[in-house]
Amino acid sequence: MIWVQLVNGLMEGMMLFLIASGLTLIFGVSRIVNFAHGSLYMLGAFLTYALVPVIAPGTVAGFFAAVILAGIGVAAIGTAFEVLALRRVYGADSLMQLIITIALVFVIRDVVRWIWGANSLSVPMPDALMGALVIGDTYFPVFPFVIFAAGLAVVAAMIGVIRFTRTGILLRAATDDRGMAALLGINERMIFTAVFAAGSFLAGIAGGMAAPWGDVNYLLDTTVIVSAFIVCVIGGLGNLYGALAGAMLVGITKAVGVLYFPRLSMVLIFLIMAVVLVARSLGRQGGPAR
Amino acid sequence: MTAAVRMTPARWTLLVLALIGAEAANRFGGAGLSLALSEMLILALFASSLNLLMTYGHMVSFGHAAYFGLGAYGFTLAVTRAGVPVEAALVLGPLVATLGGIVFGALCVRLTEIYFAMLTLACAQITYTVLFQWYGFTGGDTGITGFMPARFGLSEANFTSLVLAVLVVGLAILARIINSPLGLSIRSVGQDRWRAEALGLAPRRVQLTVFAISAFFAGVAGTLYAVFQGAAFPDYAGLGFTLDALIMVVIGGLRSFWGGVVGAIVFSQLRHWAPLVTNHWGLALGLILLAIVILLPHGLTSLAERLGLRQPRGGRQ
Repeated sequence: MIWVQLVNGLMEGMMLFLIASGLTLIFGVSRIVNFAHGSLYMLGAFLTYALVPVIAPGTVAGFFAAVILAGIGVAAIGTAFEVLALRRVYGADSLMQLIITIALVFVIRDVVRWIWGANSLSVPMPDALMGALVIGDTYFPVFPFVIFAAGLAVVAAMIGVIRFTRTGILLRAATDDRGMAALLGINERMIFTAVFAAGSFLAGIAGGMAAPWGDVNYLLDTTVIVSAFIVCVIGGLGNLYGALAGAMLVGITKAVGVLYFPRLSMVLIFLIMAVVLVARSLGRQGGPAR
Repeated sequence: MTAAVRMTPARWTLLVLALIGAEAANRFGGAGLSLALSEMLILALFASSLNLLMTYGHMVSFGHAAYFGLGAYGFTLAVTRAGVPVEAALVLGPLVATLGGIVFGALCVRLTEIYFAMLTLACAQITYTVLFQWYGFTGGDTGITGFMPARFGLSEANFTSLVLAVLVVGLAILARIINSPLGLSIRSVGQDRWRAEALGLAPRRVQLTVFAISAFFAGVAGTLYAVFQGAAFPDYAGLGFTLDALIMVVIGGLRSFWGGVVGAIVFSQLRHWAPLVTNHWGLALGLILLAIVILLPHGLTSLAERLGLRQPRGGRQ
């Protein structure tokens, strides 16, 4: 049982990382704490729900195609929000930035309820991913392994882009020293928009990939955003590798904690977060994305 | 930037008229209106406690509902589990909230800005989760109900008058605090903690004091709310109540003593009337927030400045 939960924990950790990485990238570059990030995740799940029956239902390729399309849709919505609203409050009081993203939370939640209703929906799992692996005398569901691998591929691609491409260099420059980057002729505005779009995409595909594993409902936004904040804070806001470590810690603590302290698993996570925050005394800012 | 609370003759007149208007509406508007009014006034006190923290202390709390919930549960648990008389429990509720504020605040004031906000969120979520999951003690998600008649069995109008009186006294105390030497150090630390430290103040101790005072008033509001409903639910400490209070303060306007009250009135009215106009309250609220942040970043009270009811900034600070 513990091994199965461990695998589940790894999958959940990977999903959390995909969400938290977007959150932390956006924070690292534009210093915006995007409260609507969980809403973008939820939107990804709902768009996947809408797309799966249309695109080759039941097949693995169709499922992932639907997830990627959902991610692109979410990225488009995130970009529109960034260009139309968020752009007006860069440099303003950080509270105003938070409130403007909270406004987006209400809008997305309402629109989702409008379109899909208030009931929990479920996304069918592709047939090929329904089975179980038998190792020793334990049955492991296949789905978490596949999702973990897919997440790993996304992470590798993301780190590759940040480390080795020109876009990545610009991004790191903007994270390290925004003013200097602007002085050197980097188009800040474009970087901010691109990062917000990329972060939205990551949140969207995370929502889509996790959709068949649980319920899809309009309450996902707050649960997810709280978990993602915890991950980012444990890892240090703006720090990508910190977020990876934080996500795995939270994912595994949640999954394994449920076995031993069913009532306490969530409290456990908040306690870890509080201890990390107080122990590290992160007063000023998080580390940059590297 | 934040000034002392100064009462000009125009403001006194406005305040007295508002109070007379509220009490008249309460007496002659029927039971339904009285109930809506008392809920609004309780939320106004809650939002004002957050306003103290944000406007004067420059600390953005993302977990203010924790102290609202602790007040409600402090009162409710004292009555139901400890058999404390109701009168004593009314004092215990705010005290429990203050104690929570001191413990959590001591951790939170070690951090600044967004990390501060995140840690307040974590503290509130811990509170919420404990209230939600500790079935044996707190009743879990079903809450604690039926332990006393809602509103002590007072008539709707009488209870609303009581809440109005508590709000007025609460605001008077808050104004007194802000105008006191302590208030001066609170504003000083809020504006520039390093300069305040250089002047010989202890920023963390001042911040913790504001945090505790703020938690106390949130606890008073929470206790009143438990009396109002005759029940306590974990939601009182949940993210929803925190967001409501934040939105009230933002709508009313940071930088003003009255921001919390004005925001609570406007937000309650919007939430009450919106369903008659639209099925999409969330969408409407989101758009209103967007409009306020972009067009009127200092909220509705900054409109009063233009009407001459509020002294323009730059006067005596």
